[in-house]
Parts: sequence; C-alpha cells; structure tokens
Amino acid sequence: MTAGERSARPLLRGRTALVTGAARGLGRTCAVRFAEEGADLVLVDVCGDLAGVPYPLGSGGQLEQTAKLCREQGAAVVTVAADVRRPEDVEEAARQALDRFGGVDVLLNNAGIAAPSGKAVHEIAEDEWDLMVGIDLTGAWRTMKAVVPAMVEQRSGSVINVASTAGLVGYRHFAGYVAAKHGLIGLTKAAALDYAPFRVRVNALCPGSVRDDPLSEGRMLAEIARSLDVDVDEHEEIFVQSQPMNSLMEPRDIAGAALWLAGDDSRQVTGTTLTVDGGFSAR
Amino acid sequence: MSRSQARSCHSLVVRVPGPVDAAALEGRLRAGAAGAWPQWAARLRLWEETLPHGADRPAARDRVAAESERPLHADGPPLRAVLLRYADGDADLVLVARRSVTFDEPRFTFGRDTGATEPGPAPSEPLEWGLGDPGRRGRTGEVRLPGPLPGDPAPVAGAIRLVLSRYGTGRPLDESRTARELVGETAEAFADGGQLGPGIALHLEAARPGERRLPRLAPAGAAEFHVLRHAEGGVTASLRHDPGEMSPLVAERLAGHVAHVAQQLADHPDRPLDAVETMTADESAEVLRLGVTPPATGPEAMDRTVHGLFADVVRERPDAVALTAGGGELTYAELDERSDRAAAGLAALGVAPGSLVGVALERDADLVVTLLGVLKAGCAYVPMDLRYPRERLRYTVENAGVGVVVGAADGLAGIDGVRVVTPDELRSLAGEAAAPVPSVDPAATAYVIYTSGSTGRPKGVVVPHRNVAALLAATREDFGLGPDDVWTLFHSSAFDFSVWEIWGCLLTGGRLVVVDYWVTRDTDLFHELLAEERVTVLNQTPSAFAQIVEADRRRSAALSLRLVVFGGEPLDVRMLAPWFARHSPSDCRLVNMFGITETTVHVTAHTVTPADVLAGGRRVGPALPGWTLSVRDPRGRLLPLGVPGEICVGGAGVADHYLGQPGLTAERFVDDPYGGGRVYRSGDRGRLRPDGALDHLGRLDSQVKVRGHRIELDEIRNVLLAHPAVTGAVAVLNHDVPGDAATARIDAYVTLRPPATLADVLSHARGVLPGYMVPASVTELPRIPLTINGKVDTAGLPAPRTGPGQPAAQGADEGLTERILRMWGNALNTEVTLKDNFFELGGNSLLVIRILREMREQGLPRVATQDFYRNSTADRFVELVRVAQA
Repeated sequence: MTAGERSARPLLRGRTALVTGAARGLGRTCAVRFAEEGADLVLVDVCGDLAGVPYPLGSGGQLEQTAKLCREQGAAVVTVAADVRRPEDVEEAARQALDRFGGVDVLLNNAGIAAPSGKAVHEIAEDEWDLMVGIDLTGAWRTMKAVVPAMVEQRSGSVINVASTAGLVGYRHFAGYVAAKHGLIGLTKAAALDYAPFRVRVNALCPGSVRDDPLSEGRMLAEIARSLDVDVDEHEEIFVQSQPMNSLMEPRDIAGAALWLAGDDSRQVTGTTLTVDGGFSAR
Repeated sequence: MSRSQARSCHSLVVRVPGPVDAAALEGRLRAGAAGAWPQWAARLRLWEETLPHGADRPAARDRVAAESERPLHADGPPLRAVLLRYADGDADLVLVARRSVTFDEPRFTFGRDTGATEPGPAPSEPLEWGLGDPGRRGRTGEVRLPGPLPGDPAPVAGAIRLVLSRYGTGRPLDESRTARELVGETAEAFADGGQLGPGIALHLEAARPGERRLPRLAPAGAAEFHVLRHAEGGVTASLRHDPGEMSPLVAERLAGHVAHVAQQLADHPDRPLDAVETMTADESAEVLRLGVTPPATGPEAMDRTVHGLFADVVRERPDAVALTAGGGELTYAELDERSDRAAAGLAALGVAPGSLVGVALERDADLVVTLLGVLKAGCAYVPMDLRYPRERLRYTVENAGVGVVVGAADGLAGIDGVRVVTPDELRSLAGEAAAPVPSVDPAATAYVIYTSGSTGRPKGVVVPHRNVAALLAATREDFGLGPDDVWTLFHSSAFDFSVWEIWGCLLTGGRLVVVDYWVTRDTDLFHELLAEERVTVLNQTPSAFAQIVEADRRRSAALSLRLVVFGGEPLDVRMLAPWFARHSPSDCRLVNMFGITETTVHVTAHTVTPADVLAGGRRVGPALPGWTLSVRDPRGRLLPLGVPGEICVGGAGVADHYLGQPGLTAERFVDDPYGGGRVYRSGDRGRLRPDGALDHLGRLDSQVKVRGHRIELDEIRNVLLAHPAVTGAVAVLNHDVPGDAATARIDAYVTLRPPATLADVLSHARGVLPGYMVPASVTELPRIPLTINGKVDTAGLPAPRTGPGQPAAQGADEGLTERILRMWGNALNTEVTLKDNFFELGGNSLLVIRILREMREQGLPRVATQDFYRNSTADRFVELVRVAQA
C-alpha cells in the first residue's frame, strides 16, 4: 500500500492510538500509518523547545500538521501539548483520550531526545544526565502509568516503546542516551510481565539509523551528527557502511513494525524487542 | 471497548445548519451540563472535527455512525459532545451519554445522572437461524430495510412479527388471520415497540428532522429493529445486529423479508397471512439453486441397471477378487457365474421378471451371490434380517407379497404362503440351464428395503436400479473409488447402508470383505480384520465408529483405511478428536453423509477436518451431484437461508414409493410446487447455509417440550459426548406419570472411561446446558444398546438410576461460596463477585493449577482442570464444587 491509501480491511479499525512525540519524525509517520489502518488518534508533543536540549523540538504547528495528515486518512484526532516530564501534563493527555474516545488501545511511547550527547561518561553534567533519562526513560514510564490502567480495564492494549539500537549495544559518547534506551528495554520486559494477565502487551521497537526525511521533518540523524561534530552526509555514509543492508531505515520501515506490534497479528507477542536496523546488530 | 459499556450508553445526532457558531454551542452545552452535573463541568467540552467533505457524502454518514456508536469511558463524564463540521458549512452534533442521562428539550438541558446502572440484558439463547460468527461477537452491524416501506409503521412492525414467527422466533402467529388483523393488533400491542422474542427487540419512534437516536449503542441482545416515523410522512427502518449472533448476510436477508412482507400487508389488508410471501420470487429461485448440485456425469452413466454395471467390471477384470467371505474368495468371473446360477434357479422356480424376491441370509458369500442373481433374473430383492423378530419378518413377507424367499428354511418356519429355498436348492434347481437374460429397464425396481418409521409399521421403500447407478456416478470420482479398494460388508442387508457397501464396492471393481455377524459385534476382532484385510473404505454409523476409535487407541495394528464414510445417524464431530490425533486427514479422509433410505442411502457429503472438530457444528455438506436439497416449513413453503425447517430431498436419489401405501406415499413424496419435480419430505430438521451446505439438526420429532421449553434431545446427547471421558451417550424423554406432560423429564445414559464419575459428567452438563435441559438423571451403562443397524436402541435402555450423585435443588451454601471467592480473589489479586469470569480477571492456566491445589489442601473436592475451564465464572464454579461435594 502506498501512503494516503486507506486499507480495505483496516488493521486498527475502531481503535484509538496515543502517540507521543507526534509532531514530526517517526511519531508523525507512525501516526499517519495508524490512521491509514483506521485508528483514531491522540497526538501528543511537547510543542516547544526545552532548556538544555541543543536543538529545536517539535512545534505546535508541526503537531497540527500531523493531525491534518491523519484527518486526511479519515481519522478523528485530538492534539495535546504535554511534556512527558510533567505528571499533570501526561495525566491530562490520558484523560482527554478517555473522554474523547472512551479508551486507548495503542500507546506509542515515541517522545525522546538524542542530545545533549557527544561526551564521555565523566564529562556529562548532572542536569544533562537527568534531562536525558527524564525524557527518554522516565517519560515513557510516566505515560504508561497514566494510560495502561484503562487498557487493563478493557483487558486489551498494546504499548510500544520506541527504543533504539542504542538499547542493545553501546555507542561511544552517547552514554546517557544508551543508558536510557537500555533502561527502556528493561522497563518494557518488566511491564510486559505485570500486564500479561490482563492481555495488555508491552514491546520495544529498536530502530537503527533512520533517514531524516523532509516529509516527516525528522532531524534525529542530523542532531546525532552534530553531537559528534561530523557532517550529516559523512555520518550517513558511516552508518550506511555499518549496516549490512547498505541503506538507512526509512521512517515507514519503522512504522510498519510499529503497526504490526499495534495490531492483532502480534497478539501473542509481549516483552519482546523488535529490531529494525538493516542487520546492524546482527554483527 | 466493552460491549456492556456500549449497551449502557445512548446517543443523539442533531443536524446544525451553517454557519455554525461552535463557541456559542459549547457555551450552551457547558451551561446545561453545569446545572445537571457540576462535578464534571470542568471536563465537559465540545470536541470538534473538521471534515474535508460535505454533509451528504457517504464518508460523513460513516463518521456520524462511528461517533454515535462510540461508548463513553466508565469513569469519565456522563456525556460526550462531538461537533462534526462539514466543508459545506453544516455540522452534525453527536451526543453520547449514559442511559441514565436523558436529553431533554430544549436540547441543552440534561436529565440528572442518577448513577444507577441498569441490570444487563438476560443472556439469550443463540438464534438458531442467525449463523453468527462467534469470533465477531460484541460488534454491531446495521442494515437498512430496503424501500419503499409503507407510510405507516404498523405494517412494518407487523411484518417483523410475521417474519420472525416464520423464522421460529417469538410467538407463533395464527396465519389464518388477515393482514389487517395482524397490523391492527400490532399497532395496539407494540405502540412503542417491545421484545419480539429472545434476543430481538423492536423500537418504534417518531423521528425528528435531522436527528438520529440510538437507544443503545449496541443491541441488548442479538438484534434490534428501529422503525422511525417521520414527521413529513414516511417510515424508515433499520436492523442493528451483533454479528456474533446474526451474520451480515442473514441480517440483510431478514431486512429484505420484512420490507417485502410489509409491502404486502399494507397493499392487501384482506389477504390471509398464509398467502403472504416471505421471499421474493428471485430470492426463492436463488435459495432453490443453492440446494441443487448438478449431476457429475451425463444421463448415460445413471441410466443403467445394477447388474449391467456389474457386467462391465466382469468384462474388465474377470480375475480380480470380488469377494472375501468365510475364508474363501470369489473372483469377479466366479461371482458372475454363481449369480447366473442363482438367476437360472429363480427362473426354474417360475419367478417372473418384475417379481419381488425375499432374501434372508447371513452375511456370507451366498448373500451377495443371491442379491446379484435376483437382479439378473429381472427381479427386485427384499432383504430380511433373520435376527428381526419373527412378527416383523412375517409382516415384511406379507406386505411385500413375496412368493419366494431365499434363505434358511428354519428361520422362516411357520410363515404361510411363501416358498423358502436355500441357495443350494436354488443352484440344483438351475441345473445346467442357461441364465435368463431379461431386458431390465433402469427404472425397474432393484430392491425394497423396510424402514421402521418413528410411528406405525415398517414401510417398504421401493428403489429403482438407476438410483443406485446415480449414487455411484455421484461419488465414484470424488471418493476415487476403484479396483485398489477393499470394502467391508458390515451392515445387515436389511439396512440400506449395505446397498452402498455392496454396490459401491462391486460396481467400482473393489474387493468386498464380508464380515461375519459375530465379528461386527466385537470391536477388537473387527479392528483386527480391518488391519489384516487391509481394508481401505469403511462405512460406519457414528455410534459404531466411536467404539472403533476406542479400540484404535488400545491396539497397535496399523490400518490401511483411506476413506471412512459416516451414515445412518447424526455425527458429533467432537468424538473424532482422538482419531485425528492418530490418523492424518490426508491419509484417511472422513466423510459425513446425511442420508435416508427413501433417497437411496445418501444425500449429502461433507469431508470432516480437524478444524471441524474444534468448531463443532452439524454440517453434513452440500447435496451429492444429481441430488437436490431444500428446507421448508410445515406448509411446504421454502424457507430462507439459515432458517431451520424440514429437509426436503429431490433429484436422482428419490425412491419410487412406499410399497402398497399410496396414502403415505402421497404424503411424503410430493410434487414440488417450486418446480423441482418429486421431492421427499424427510421429517429431518435442517438449515441451509449460504454456501449450499446443509446443517442437520436432528429429527423433527426428536424435538420435545419439557415445561414449555423446546428441547432437542440430540443436543443434550452431544453435550454429554463432549465430555472427554464420555464414550457414548443418549438422552430420552420420560414421564413420571405416563401421558402427563407436566411430569416430563429427561433421562440420560452414558458410557464412561475411568476414572471419570457421573458427578464429573453432571457438572460438565450443568456447565454447558441451560437448567431446563440438564437431565434429571444420568445412568452409567457398560455400553449403549444399539439396534441391529448400529443405531442407538432407546427401547433397550434400563430404567433410569436415581439417587446420590444426581442433581438436586441445593440450599445456599454461603461458606463454600465465600471460600472460593476468597481463593480466587487471592490468586487474582482483586475482588471477585459471583458474576466474574476467572479468565477475564486475568486468570491463566497456572493460576488454575494453584487454585486446584489449594482446594485439595483445604479438603475441597477434586475438580478436573478442563471442568474449571468450562465453568470459569465464579457462580458456575461454585456450583461445580457443590455438585462434586455432593
């Protein structure tokens, strides 16, 4: 199926998905993919820059653009500006989801930052560490805490935590990010056990290097390159060479995996880590 | 999203003409809500969606439907308001609220949320005609009744009642009344709608322009009709249904039938109801077509005599072994020669072509030789089983008017006016005389088999040669019947299953192993014979095959079976689970065939798969090539797809008549008013599925009534058989006071595999059957008595056992209930009520084991794991333990 074509037998018809970090990048691509498959959406993003993050984050305008793309697929959409570090923000997002749609079936924990990075472990400042772990790990925990009870109540649900190959292996000068993503995979496994009796599934998705495509306005790769003080093209080249499939991931490659974890085709899959990295971690 | 949540909400859609002032609307909404529920005021808002198309687009209808059927979250505000704004400036306001909240006029004042939760609708019996898909239970489908509908709701409501009554749901209607009477009565009794039958409700409302109301977001039962009277005149109606109970196809047909009937009621008020058609002529034609399987071959393959077809095989394979019997063998040429002698003997006796000849022989080579000899002499055979009571043999001889019986003289001593000759005598009578070669019309009678009707005396079914030829033409290719096959002659020649065994084998060049009577009675010996003779094609009644399945579990001898055909009685596919565990369906095909003596052994064929075993069901497949099927009501009217009624069979297998019984013949063999030629009314209950396959639902007359409940005894039997330790079962209706319907009771008999006990079986039955169907007694037997034909012999059952272990009314046992609820609660880490389902609360197999262990430790009775799964709600589980305790 190509973008913009609504599936004849939608995999997520009648389901509601809550996506964090939905303003752009992977979050946007996944949200639109879910919409193509019939889901209604609660789109959450911080919608503004954060002190200490050395690059601009998603904006309110970008979040509305994601909403527009989803609506074009026939989805009903609610947008919520929320900072995953603030419990009251996250609770409000969950409340709006329940008031508007009566429940949440899919939670895509996608909000995360890649920088501040580019330092050795001992060089990382206290607040830099806290910022990274607070968003990439604790933020995912907080969103689950707010949303999963409704899933438990309805005895179904799929949580997808977007980790990274950095959750599987180390990367030099990315200790904070690597630690947070390893932690997220641990959180995924523990939560899977907590909620399996209630048919709520929790899985982690580990993308390799994803191309910053203009349509989704992602800029992860660019920011990682900048952290390492290399040119984006050079960085891409290094990554392409390190991946057996000889290409970067496209956002839709990741969205396809997320869709599988979201839908019933994976109904016996929980606590697992699905890696989409062109073979990078097979080495 | 939970179904109960959807049932406890209602919705209203109001068209808001543009230009829409959303802020003002939200203001009014908040003001109205603040008065009714101040605690929710802060959370109540107007959700807006801007759609890229106009209000009249199909996409807009889909969105309105999606929004107005989306339940509320249980812990949130009691109302949700969504404004769908269309590109053309108009908007729809969708309000969804708990049913305890009313939408009052003017629109933005709301009734106070009383917080009261309604009791859930009572669980209804599944609709027998719904053909629902259990996997889709809990969703909602909607079908509009096709127009034009009458301008008044009463004929529409009347039509719904009439159609449902014809489907067998709700109160049966007296169809001698006129349309006007029905419509008048309906207008009075159902002015606002009501319950039309178990699981089906009618809502009658006045529509307001631009409004759509749903009294529940999901139907409370299987389906509900919504009939709307519009202010500007006219009626629209829709059927909302749960596809788990009613398939979309059945719903669409039902909606069509109501519309078709409504028009007739409105147009012809003086017409008696029985003149009102449910289906259009087009639909009737389609349903008739579905039941027809065209012949697999041209007429030349069917227009043959049995012995003519046999002669073909003799020409092709004279030296192949045709018959194995009593330790000896006969080749096709030898069988041909011997049967020529028998025919010559009959001619010498002066038996004229066209006569009926009795054959009363044990299962041996002479039996087959004689049957073939009778046909060659241009006569028809009347098989008689020497094990039948003498009175019945005498009746057969007299009724058929046979002058000659080939058989053992002592078996028929004392029956006057008949000459009994032994096969040996027949041979010596023949001498060296040439066998007669009469010209026999394929339409001439080949055999007359007596079947015991459920009432009255046995009746002789007259079957012509060409019916047997048609049966072979219908099955030869599909079953791959040929010279490599080895068949058994297991059944009495007086049971028409033997017609299939003998001629199915000998007309396709196979080898027929004649099974000695005593071997047919000993499953282990028979299993041994199957292995030794390398039998490939086996025909059995399900009751008899159940014993073979048992023997097969115990014995190691490898079987060569490649085809097993079930016939003679309904098959419960679940009994085949242990068989499939040992035999792959690709090596040995199992075919369930529904059939009747009056339609030449078989009517349908359905290959049973392991998937069928899991799903259960009573599928017997589509009509054989050349046969036709239809399902009709007691007046002979064709019934729609899915609706149960009498199975009627037409086509190549229909017998000629009942011998000497023109009255009964005229009653059962009727000219099809739909142009299908002669059809036989079987007295069996069935329904036709949309793919043309038949579901066999038992005998019309095995449906009994106990205290007003319609009960299918076969259903109880099937439930008992579903218990893994039950190897045989039968349920019968008895009366404590003979003739007094009020004392009716159901007694069951089972054979059990140890260590299961009757208590296990009872708790299983209680877990599956509604209370009124649970047998009043269950008696264990060493084996279920079978008739000579291998069917269950209800007359041979002992008096029911009563006493301990039987279900009896129990007083409340608070102690036990509390203990079990506490045990569940501890394991599940939550509070449990009697209504809760263990698995819905997060229970799993390990927790099951933990609870069973804890029960043992606490001295509570042992409960089998599978019984736990079958009784997974707390109330049922407590009951299970209670029964086990008793």
